[in-house]
Amino acid sequence: MIRIFPSLRFTSLLSAAKPLCSYSPAREPPASFTEAKSSPETNSLSITPKTPLFLRTPSHATSLSEVWKWHDWAKDLASSVEESSKNSEDVLDSVILLRELKWLIEDSIVDDPLVILHRSEISDNGEKNVKLRASLEELYDLWRQRIEKRRPFQYVVGCEHWRDLVLCVEEGVLIPRPETELIVDMVEELVTRDEWFKKGFWADLGTGSGAIAIGIAKVLGSRGRVIATDLSPVAITVAGHNVQRYGLEGMIEVREGSWFEPLKDLEGKLVGIVSNPPYIPSDDIPGLQAEVGKHEPKLALDGGIDGTDSLLHLCHGASRMLQRGGFFIFETNGEKQSKMIVDYMMSNDLKDCFSDLKIVSDFAGINRFVTGFRL
Amino acid sequence: MSSTSKAWLVAASIGAVEASKDQLGMCRWNYLIRSVNQRIRNNVRSASQANRFSSSTAVASVKDDNKAKQAEESLRTVMTVPSNGLSTRLCSILRYSSSVDGGGSSSGDFGSANDSVSVVVDVQSPNYLKFTDDELMKQCRLETFRVSGPGGQHRNKRDSAVRLKHLPTGIVAQAVEDRSQHKNRASALNRLRTLLAIKVRNKVDLDAYAPPPELLQILPPKSTIRTSSGSQIGPNNPKFVPGMQALLDVISASDGSIADSAKLLGLSTGGLSRLILSHDGLRMAVNSMRAAKGIKPLK
Repeated sequence: MIRIFPSLRFTSLLSAAKPLCSYSPAREPPASFTEAKSSPETNSLSITPKTPLFLRTPSHATSLSEVWKWHDWAKDLASSVEESSKNSEDVLDSVILLRELKWLIEDSIVDDPLVILHRSEISDNGEKNVKLRASLEELYDLWRQRIEKRRPFQYVVGCEHWRDLVLCVEEGVLIPRPETELIVDMVEELVTRDEWFKKGFWADLGTGSGAIAIGIAKVLGSRGRVIATDLSPVAITVAGHNVQRYGLEGMIEVREGSWFEPLKDLEGKLVGIVSNPPYIPSDDIPGLQAEVGKHEPKLALDGGIDGTDSLLHLCHGASRMLQRGGFFIFETNGEKQSKMIVDYMMSNDLKDCFSDLKIVSDFAGINRFVTGFRL
Repeated sequence: MSSTSKAWLVAASIGAVEASKDQLGMCRWNYLIRSVNQRIRNNVRSASQANRFSSSTAVASVKDDNKAKQAEESLRTVMTVPSNGLSTRLCSILRYSSSVDGGGSSSGDFGSANDSVSVVVDVQSPNYLKFTDDELMKQCRLETFRVSGPGGQHRNKRDSAVRLKHLPTGIVAQAVEDRSQHKNRASALNRLRTLLAIKVRNKVDLDAYAPPPELLQILPPKSTIRTSSGSQIGPNNPKFVPGMQALLDVISASDGSIADSAKLLGLSTGGLSRLILSHDGLRMAVNSMRAAKGIKPLK
């Protein structure tokens, strides 16, 4: 169904070492209350997912001394980042960069990374040949992109470690955040308490890389079913690819479309809905950390004026789509949004639709999630 | 603080001295625990009430509930008494004390042991190492390192570091190296187990010493007390950790003497030294015990 051509991706990766604007996807319809129809021209089957570094064939080789030279250069570059921005969130952190460099080495160099990192133990003057998954030239390009263009590390290596998974990600797909890991924990807790939830249909709305869908599929057990939807064709491709990599095609179906639009056949039948929808207020986007604001898809971030456009839409959808007793978790940007969503779900049209509404905080103490049950 | 709570604190400090093998006092002790627990629960719940919305649908901050649960847990776990029970004298102190003051050396806040280096609880505490990962995690507060700001979608900084604070003992373990927060949680928990083994001492009776199975399995085959023929669990095996704790309990009870401990374990002094030197944390713990007794360190 989805075919991967690693060699094709290599050329496109080189051409990616060009101005910033080529990273952002061209199509970015703003989030709105009404369901948008998916455009028929951008057929997701015509997009091939990029191969992450760690899965590429190690078809390159170079001498250890050349690798050391690159490593020294990369370390210097990482250590010399200046605090050019007033916004403390936007500053590159050398400590974090050096850690990322270590991970880049793990993903791109085949031999034991310690060989690269602990040179004193090597006595042969670096003559030994080292196998690489990318050419040395590309390694220079990639690290330059990271530092100079602020390209997110995860796009550079093509993957993100999230929970116990390694997910392929690329430009056009939101990089799954550590906070979102908790959603899977909460679902796991629920289904352990009540096996009823293991037997029905779950929906992951705005699935992006497929992270949450895959995470919950693994805790639902063999009877579980997850439908993952996303408006973006790139996301559909990448999510489908990740689902395949984890052998979960039998459990997870990826459907292209806006929110609940592709789920009409399941109205009133879902036992669970999970979502990490775009929740950043539009005005905040320009001020975001460069890796996020300039490289990750606006479609996945922009939640309108208050950041709540998508969330409010999901509230209505939850009342329509969940069956009695069904459960939902929505991720928000924290304090104010969570309260606002809970209030919204207790008033007007949605009054008396939900029970047991809760605000759950993440490990940093922010009131990050709203959960509840359909009455 | 109520007189009952004060009495409880006195009991805790006396219990350190008085713990004995008498099979007495359990029911009175349990009553005291229950009433103090109820008090704590009420206090914490009233704090979280302030956060509730005034509507028919109950909305609560689960975080506060967790804190309440953790406070309860920490209380409960510290106060669990083994089947040894307490001496009669201790129980009568509990029953008759009304205006006791100043006896308790610890503050009421078992949730924060400030000095994370010293031995933590002398009363026979529950063996935390026997808890499952889930149970142990429930006793901890998990924190992620973060700078100010909303986090979540707003931020992409690969610092999925976590810090785990074990509330009953105050011991903190952290992990930064793994690429996912989830994996760092697991690493931190393993690290916590090692720290618990190193820092929490259980009393052992050297006169009637029966080494537990977790200790036997880390001893070399040469040991004359080794019963099973299974292979020796090495220092990199997670099962080494509970054995290490039991070993440190013996060495501590022997005042840091390797020779005495070795005899109890059916080993030569050299054999035991080798075992101790095989694990950095174990070596450092033994050497700090020896330093405290004025004995020179093992090398």
